Amino acid sequence: MSTETNSESTTGTASDRRNARTISLGVDDTATDSRTIGPDVFRILSLGCVLLLIASFVRVLHEVTQAVGGTPSLFALVGGMLLAGTLLARLIRPRTALLAALTVAGLGFAYYLESSGVGVGIVLSQTGALAADIATLATGHPLIRTVEAGLWTLGFAPAPVFLSWYLALRGRYALSVLPGGFALGFLVLTGDADLTVTLLGTLAGLGAVGFGELERRGGSISQADLLAALFALIIVLSLSVSFVPGSETGPASIGATDAGTLEGTIDSAGERSGFTGQVDLSPEVRFTVESEQPSYWRTGVYDRFTGDEWVRTGQEQPLDGPINEPPGDHETMQQLVTAETEIGVMPVAPQPLAVTDGAAQYAELSAHGQVHPSTTLIEGDSYVVESAVVDPGQDELKRAGTDYPDQIEERYLQQPEDTSDEFAEYTANVTADAETPYEKAAAIENHLRSSKSYSLDVDQPSGNVAEDFLFEMDEGYCIYFATTMTQMLRAEEVPTRYVTGYTSGQQVDDSTHVVRGLDAHAWVEVYFPDYGWVAFEPTPSGERNDVHADQLEDARADDVENVDIEESEDVPVREDDDDEDEQNDRDPAEPDEGEHDDSETNETDPDQDPDTDPDSDTENESNETTDGTSLPDSDGEDTSEGDDSDGLSLPVTVSRELLALTTVVLVGLAAGIHRTDGRTRLQRLVGLVWQRPTDDPDDDAARAYRRLERLLGRTHRPRRPGESARSYVTALRTAATDDTGDSLESATDRDSGSGSDPNSNPNSNPNPDPTDPRIETVLESYERAVYGGGVSRREAANAVEAVDGLVREQVPLVGGAMSDAGQHKASTERGSDDENDGSDESTTAE
Amino acid sequence: MTDADPPTDTVLETTPIDADEQTEAIDPLPLARVESIGTDIEANVARVIVGHESVIEHVITSLLGRGHVLLDDVPGVGKTMLARSIATSVDCTFRRIQFTPDLLPTDVTGVNVFNQQTREFEFQPGPIFGNIVLGDEINRAPPKTQSALLEAMEEQQVTADGETRSLPSPFTVIATQNAIEPNRTYDLPFAELDRFMKKLHLGYPDPEDEAELLGRTVGTHPIEELESVTDRETLVRARETVSRVEVAEPVRAYVTRLAGYTRENAHIGASPRGAIALLRAAQARAVINGRDYVTPDDVQAEAAVVLSHRVKTNDRTRDGQAIVADALEQVPVDG
Repeated sequence: MSTETNSESTTGTASDRRNARTISLGVDDTATDSRTIGPDVFRILSLGCVLLLIASFVRVLHEVTQAVGGTPSLFALVGGMLLAGTLLARLIRPRTALLAALTVAGLGFAYYLESSGVGVGIVLSQTGALAADIATLATGHPLIRTVEAGLWTLGFAPAPVFLSWYLALRGRYALSVLPGGFALGFLVLTGDADLTVTLLGTLAGLGAVGFGELERRGGSISQADLLAALFALIIVLSLSVSFVPGSETGPASIGATDAGTLEGTIDSAGERSGFTGQVDLSPEVRFTVESEQPSYWRTGVYDRFTGDEWVRTGQEQPLDGPINEPPGDHETMQQLVTAETEIGVMPVAPQPLAVTDGAAQYAELSAHGQVHPSTTLIEGDSYVVESAVVDPGQDELKRAGTDYPDQIEERYLQQPEDTSDEFAEYTANVTADAETPYEKAAAIENHLRSSKSYSLDVDQPSGNVAEDFLFEMDEGYCIYFATTMTQMLRAEEVPTRYVTGYTSGQQVDDSTHVVRGLDAHAWVEVYFPDYGWVAFEPTPSGERNDVHADQLEDARADDVENVDIEESEDVPVREDDDDEDEQNDRDPAEPDEGEHDDSETNETDPDQDPDTDPDSDTENESNETTDGTSLPDSDGEDTSEGDDSDGLSLPVTVSRELLALTTVVLVGLAAGIHRTDGRTRLQRLVGLVWQRPTDDPDDDAARAYRRLERLLGRTHRPRRPGESARSYVTALRTAATDDTGDSLESATDRDSGSGSDPNSNPNSNPNPDPTDPRIETVLESYERAVYGGGVSRREAANAVEAVDGLVREQVPLVGGAMSDAGQHKASTERGSDDENDGSDESTTAE
Repeated sequence: MTDADPPTDTVLETTPIDADEQTEAIDPLPLARVESIGTDIEANVARVIVGHESVIEHVITSLLGRGHVLLDDVPGVGKTMLARSIATSVDCTFRRIQFTPDLLPTDVTGVNVFNQQTREFEFQPGPIFGNIVLGDEINRAPPKTQSALLEAMEEQQVTADGETRSLPSPFTVIATQNAIEPNRTYDLPFAELDRFMKKLHLGYPDPEDEAELLGRTVGTHPIEELESVTDRETLVRARETVSRVEVAEPVRAYVTRLAGYTRENAHIGASPRGAIALLRAAQARAVINGRDYVTPDDVQAEAAVVLSHRVKTNDRTRDGQAIVADALEQVPVDG
């Protein structure tokens, strides 16, 4: 499946490279070689660009299918459409092709509707709802969140691919960019297309139109520099102004949270939960919970894993009325949650049944039974949650069986397509002895806790996070543990989901829990028939608590703001043994009778932290540990290092893409400079103030005049091509004398007074006066040098000196620096000139 | 029957050409002399012709540049007077041929007459044998007669009864043609127009100039008292000076570009002969301006009168003059 991607992307890069090469050719020379590039090359370039455009949006769709399946079908469809476009390009007319494409699109859409169980009838019955659906997509609802994203992709892809390629083959490049551009644009609006793909697609579209025009009008490649300059402009603009909605620019849902923190990673963009490498822990207080029981405070539930992020499918609905209860028996608990800072989440104890009071008006319910605020909660916002505590015993869970509802199986067994068989085999080994889903979950949980250690300082893996963590990494933090466990359980056909939120926090009195940024956490919920979702905790808790407690102590020691609220100020970080047992009871690994649980922890924890207080043998999920001493734990030190240096929070990766973009920018700049004759201009500017003396006095005199001409051109008007040197100056003189009646007189005054020595002219005029006698000197020597018998060294030197003087007067700053050198040069030339005096005379006659 | 002036007493060389005597080295005059001669002639002619300084200058440069002039204007603006005063100023033989519809070629070139005494045919030179020949109302004669004149202009020789005779040097034709009464004229064929270095328009004088003119001519006409400022031999040497004026490559290239422009933008553009004429006129103008090299300014000053009549357009709204004006505007001076 990946071979086809490769072939497509190589097409893209190949055309890119060709593109770059031709552009640089255009930079190197202009007229001669460019003639050799014919329309054929432009045609190939245009077609390459169209292919690139198609590849860009197919790539986005491919990202979706990679997560949800259907990649072979997608590529088969795209390949088929390309083939159809190629075959039909010569057979059918555009109108027929358009009809065919529309039919294909309609069929694809109908297929999607039928397959997703909605039925085509909805088109007639609920047109408005459908339109609203499309509008929702187009306003930033990522495709990956669509429940039937795979089907949607397969329905969407064929029409634009076919139409683009068909039109491109017929030479209608501008038209062919339309369907491709529409497809890409739609994906941009949904937020699926990231910046690079968007940029690539846009450039490809532009390139297709541009090269198509060049082909049609028989342009030369030297005109492609305009294209290159445009490309560079687009790239620079898009890098400086990000207008693409989606993950790159989406606002972080957690207010006042930095991107590099664990919270920022977990809830990076509301409906997604990403991964990073090293993260910071924010010691600031986020919210407090008044609750009889401690609990994990859940803020997000995710079902779809793309390999490098978690996505929540489905749409939120406004919360009106109670939430569906879990299927089995349950107790209920009440919590009063109060935001202590701006937060973009609604922490609740799983599984929420109802949200009331205050901020409950903002609550929206996701398709997974989690509440989210429709707006950022501000400090002081509070709400009351009633939650169902699903608390079955171990034996009951063991007996739960595998009779999952269809809906649960459809949603919560998804794995990325590229998940390897090795992963499944490994999982099978881990769970070899387990028979029931509960035993499998427990086995995996134990395996992860014992085989990996906890660290916040890790490098983000590049591929499938679950696989990379399982096979290549020795340490990680909660999101790695939870993700891997979710995927392993799914590999065993156990419906599992990835949940994020906060641990119970610091208990400051009987019922108050202070929850800080560093309590952010991710764990796993496994579905059991007749009981519903039950939490599991794959992260080694002891290590985690140490690391997090260190963070808080450091922050307190450093007097970081907002670390405490009033109630929590005097509470030491690791002293409350009191609620340990309670904590243990509410352990997300849930079964309080859990023999396995305690036994496992007792085995693992002392092994890893022999110095910890004996009390820590219990599963302690809050940041309160029993140990008051800080541990010489390497993990802890690493983390505090990361904490100290703020700059390390988000790893800055200079990717190859960035490098390539920079190259493109440079090429574009070069082309732009070429286009605007920037080099010539620079040369001119330098040439204006400085003239390199040569051996040929004629050449010197001629160049002296050119400088004069440029000087006059800057202040008056440039010389027209039809004007001779003299008629230009004469015209300027006429204009000058017309403007100011007395300038002629002053000119004649100067003529008589100081005409022979231009440097003694006291009236340094900011604008060179065309009637200045020095100009006549320059003009005469120019004419003699170019049209007559040549000039002597002395005459040339005089001319150069005259222009130097004029320039100096006009550009005082440069003039100051210039004057010494200029005079020196003039004097040396005059010196050498004496020897040549004899021969000078003979040059004038003839 | 002829309206031509009777031959004056000046002896003219009318013998057939000997191949040998072709190249006798002519000693060129110093540049400054030529410049002052030009100024002198101009001042002298200006005593008769009021205003029209630029036209006078153009005629003088034609004279020095070995070209012929066509004055194209309404009657009575002083065309003939201009030609006569020029001829008088340089002390050359001046001939005048009044072209009429019945003028024959031999009336122009001369004819072999049987001499009763010597029993031989003797060549009786026509009025073309002069240094400055005024062809008045040249477009009234039929083409055959016109062509007799035009051969003389181009080759500086006439052929009568199979014998070719060289014309005196210098030889300059100043022809006039009437711009009115187009029905009773034979328009000069385009190919023949090409033989004139310049086509000039005198136009009516300014009111002040006309008043001045009237004041001068009420008594004796100033032409009667006009004296020569130079002589034939000096003029020949001056012409030699002019022909040696340097034309640098950039100027030649510029002239080529100008001619090329007219060819690209008109039905018929300037011929190579036109380009040569332009360079010669520019040489003469350079000398008048005291330079021994031609600048593009010289070319530009001459281009309008030298090239315009050689350019023919199909477009009624734009004549040759407009094309040449465009060329001067648009053709870059420096490559």
